[in-house]
Amino acid sequence: MSASDRMADKAKPARAGPWWAITALAVVAVYLIALLSAEKQLVVMSLIAFGIVSALAAGWFGVLQVVARAFSEHEDLTGLFAIAAALVIAAWFHEDHFVLLLIITVLLTIVATLGLNIQFGYAGVLNFAGASFFGIGAYTSAVLNTTAMPHLLVLLLGGLLAALIGSVLLLPVLRTRGHYAALITIAFALLFKTFLEVNDVLGGPQGMQVKGMNLFGWSLNDNIEIGGITLSFYMSYYVLSLALLIAAFALVRRLERSWIGLNLDALRLDDVAAGCFGLDITRWKITAFLIGNFLIGLAGALFGMVGGFVAPNNYTFADSLILVSILLLGGIGNPWGLIVATLIVVVVPEKLQTIQEYRFLLYALMVIGVLLFRPEGLLPRPVRRYFPGWRP
Amino acid sequence: MDAGLFAQYVMNGLMLGMMYALVAVGFTLFFGVLDVIKFSHGDVLTVGAFTALATYVGLTQLGLQSHWLALMVMLVVATMAMAFLGMLIARCLVMPLRSAPALNTLLITLMLGTVLRECVRLFYPQGANPKPFPALLPRGSIDLGTFNLRFDNVLMLTAGVVTIVGLQFLLNRTRLGLAIRAVAQDEETARTMGINFTAVVLITFAIGSGLAAFAGVMNGLYYNEINFGIGLYLGVVGFAAAIIGGLGSIYGAILGGFLFAGLQTVGTVLLPFASAYKDVFAFAIVIAIMAWRPTGLIQEKISERV
Amino acid sequence: MTRSGKLAATGIAALCLTLAAVDVEAKDKVKVGFIGPLTGGVSANGIGGRNSTDLAVRLRNADANAKYEYEMVALDDECKPNVAVQVATKMAADKEVIAAATHYCSVTAIATVDTYHKFGFPVIVWGAVLPDITYRNKYPEIHRVNGTMINQNDANAELISKLGFKTVAVVHDTTDYGKGHNEYFSKALARIGKAKIVGTFGVTADQQDFTGELTQIKALNPDVIYFGGLTPIGVRIRSQMDKLGIKAVFDGTSGIGSDAFIQGLGPLAEGTLAFREGAPTDKLPGGKFFMEKYNAQKYDNPPEAYGAFAYAAMDMILDSIEKVGPDRKKVIAELANVKDRDTIVGKITFDDHGQNTVPVITRYVVQDGKFVEWDDSEYASGKRKLPAQK
Repeated sequence: MSASDRMADKAKPARAGPWWAITALAVVAVYLIALLSAEKQLVVMSLIAFGIVSALAAGWFGVLQVVARAFSEHEDLTGLFAIAAALVIAAWFHEDHFVLLLIITVLLTIVATLGLNIQFGYAGVLNFAGASFFGIGAYTSAVLNTTAMPHLLVLLLGGLLAALIGSVLLLPVLRTRGHYAALITIAFALLFKTFLEVNDVLGGPQGMQVKGMNLFGWSLNDNIEIGGITLSFYMSYYVLSLALLIAAFALVRRLERSWIGLNLDALRLDDVAAGCFGLDITRWKITAFLIGNFLIGLAGALFGMVGGFVAPNNYTFADSLILVSILLLGGIGNPWGLIVATLIVVVVPEKLQTIQEYRFLLYALMVIGVLLFRPEGLLPRPVRRYFPGWRP
Repeated sequence: MDAGLFAQYVMNGLMLGMMYALVAVGFTLFFGVLDVIKFSHGDVLTVGAFTALATYVGLTQLGLQSHWLALMVMLVVATMAMAFLGMLIARCLVMPLRSAPALNTLLITLMLGTVLRECVRLFYPQGANPKPFPALLPRGSIDLGTFNLRFDNVLMLTAGVVTIVGLQFLLNRTRLGLAIRAVAQDEETARTMGINFTAVVLITFAIGSGLAAFAGVMNGLYYNEINFGIGLYLGVVGFAAAIIGGLGSIYGAILGGFLFAGLQTVGTVLLPFASAYKDVFAFAIVIAIMAWRPTGLIQEKISERV
Repeated sequence: MTRSGKLAATGIAALCLTLAAVDVEAKDKVKVGFIGPLTGGVSANGIGGRNSTDLAVRLRNADANAKYEYEMVALDDECKPNVAVQVATKMAADKEVIAAATHYCSVTAIATVDTYHKFGFPVIVWGAVLPDITYRNKYPEIHRVNGTMINQNDANAELISKLGFKTVAVVHDTTDYGKGHNEYFSKALARIGKAKIVGTFGVTADQQDFTGELTQIKALNPDVIYFGGLTPIGVRIRSQMDKLGIKAVFDGTSGIGSDAFIQGLGPLAEGTLAFREGAPTDKLPGGKFFMEKYNAQKYDNPPEAYGAFAYAAMDMILDSIEKVGPDRKKVIAELANVKDRDTIVGKITFDDHGQNTVPVITRYVVQDGKFVEWDDSEYASGKRKLPAQK
């Protein structure tokens, strides 16, 4: 072998077997179960400290890099095991209403941030009105659930309506760049909340109750009894949310890996160059914006039905900022990073009641820290791989 | 609509416009000098207002009776404190990120704004509740027909005008102003000419934040109340105003501020639901203006290396 | 090393899990809940209510005859409906909490009614006055010890008409609470027929700038401005009224009947009217007892207007749990049979919608920085005159 071949061999990292990823998933699942069951503040705090320490230690010893490689090389298998882990967690908490509700919140927030990810992480289109589109979906289900429309259709309509209203913003979004584009969506976020508040048809500041979901005659708002075991009624919503998340996740991954994703990446990195190469910038920006809003609206519609209540105060600019912080924390453009970031942002303040008051402050500080010291986020987006797992 | 009512509306619009303009000028100054949008500007205003309130509480503890003296002291303390805070923010958060994409600075200052807001809410005693702000200006008024002209409004308006004129004077007639404009135009050339870049940037941030404190005190005096959320709203409106007017242009910022206030007042008058829809109306018009003129009414001259 | 590191990590995680599970609770502890606005503009009332319910729990725990030891879980609804639904879901989903005394703000109480029903969680409302809370549905879980806003608006309209005022401008917040006040006041005023409403203005609950509405009101020149809303915007409206030179009587409801209103306005609060159902705390049957015990605990805040009702609500919950045990369904059945029960606020009877009737309405006017009963005030005797009074 020539010297250059030997050097090339040394440079290639060893293959990572799928067991790394699976074991990592198992550990995380056990940790989550422990964290979600813990009640006493001391136990919660020690668990969180333990989590942070072990994550740092794993990074130090190189374990995290191996796990990340395993994830990216055996994505489909990892995905299946992740679903299994999620089902195990749900089964563990089958009677606990509040924990299930928390997990559903996490799942649907991930779907919403996936939508934001398409807009911002792939296409570079700023959207500071994520919570407003979420709200559009939720209000759609509030209004339409009282009619005879089948509820699955209502979900789709929620997404479509969000995309439709988003298209109103398209002209200004397409024509502006940078700070000016940021203003458009910020103005829309404020406008939307005020519009909801003064509009009595949509319930005004009091909000509206949302009827529970009713699929083919089976009301999802009733507790389920199988044999002697009572399952919380949130279980059915959980399964639905998980299905939605799997679909959204698969969509996003396929999108990224497809030529659409390639176009979006080119657009984000340098739109002048992309335009010179013949990419239709307008078309791809519109695609990204609309698909993203569709996902966000879809998640919002389902969440409206789960929570049973919509009010303008749920969909303010501050909530949009939380979605953006999740995106930044997790690593722009990396869907797995979103999962981790959402867990941190949603679960930790709920469990750690003592910091409940301070949670906005802590999010903001965390994001500032991330932006200053690790702008790529917790799990930075890996380099594009054309054939995952393939080696020449 | 009779003349008195019309005059009242005009006065309302002018007062609002003045406050928005002061915030917008701050945004534009920062953008001009460093090409950054410092989104925490509105929350610096809140902190300034609360500092003034705290100073007032301290002064009353010391037994100070004179309103004018209290007002002067409050203004000085708030402005100085906010100037210092502005410099700190510039030094620690904005300048290190100059090489990062502009978006990062926008986001980091957005988050910083949240930090400032939450700190006021959590750490100022009973910060979550609206706090009465002392009425330190003379309370007399004269009646011109059905229009009630209040002296404190006139005073505040005059003070605002004086401040803006003073700022123009600073920027256009002094050496410091020259340095600021030079840095805003071309950083490298300015440095070559011997201008201390860091010093100029810090001073610009100090001036802008001092303006914010002034606007905060004015806001407190006008509404006789401050709460931790005023900064968020005023910040977004100021940002919108600066952008409609075109970033980097002081005249544009002032124009944008008064335009926004004018839109809100027109919305209040024309629309049936009184002021409920005024924000919706004003922001919708802002979005429409941005669609029509993507870089604001007074176009920013941008060139881009491809 | 990394492999064993992983094993160690899993082991420690499992250990922590078992630790958490092994934590056994003492046998006869019972949890009861309190929900109220602990932060935000009306936090004074919320904290007063929390202290009062805490007092009830403490006194019960100090009682040697009590069968259980009670622990109170207090959650903050921030007077916002969406937050209220979240904390209500949290409390109702927690199987260990048996019942709760809930809500000062009507917006939060009306939003959470369906949540409590969904989880079968018995609650007694202690401060919200919107009639719909108990009357919109017939939910067995919902009860209320304080009165509804209908009676106070009747008394309000009566006083205004009696004092000879002819024109009224109505400002109300656009929540169900403000809209309810608008509805009942307008009806009552129309029924008496002596005064008329010249304009109605809806404002948002967190509005800052009222110059738009007040400029229009100034053009209408009413004698009275009726305000259906809570203290924070009441303070703003009153001070901006003064700025625009509007000289009219500021007539409010139980929403502004708190010390925070007077503190926020200082001398401007003089001559403001307010109404509330129920006698002032010291004139209640158990008022002296309540104030004595409350002051003995040395809380940082006073009980405010509805503290006594919060105490009565929690006391009733504790009585029911003592009688039927810590079981939600049994408590609901027990609370359905409340008839002429003696409490510190007088005799309580829940009608078929769970609503108690409070006959007395107290009328207040602000005099020299304090809420004084109208009949005892110098305004009633004629020594002082309200702004537009002839």
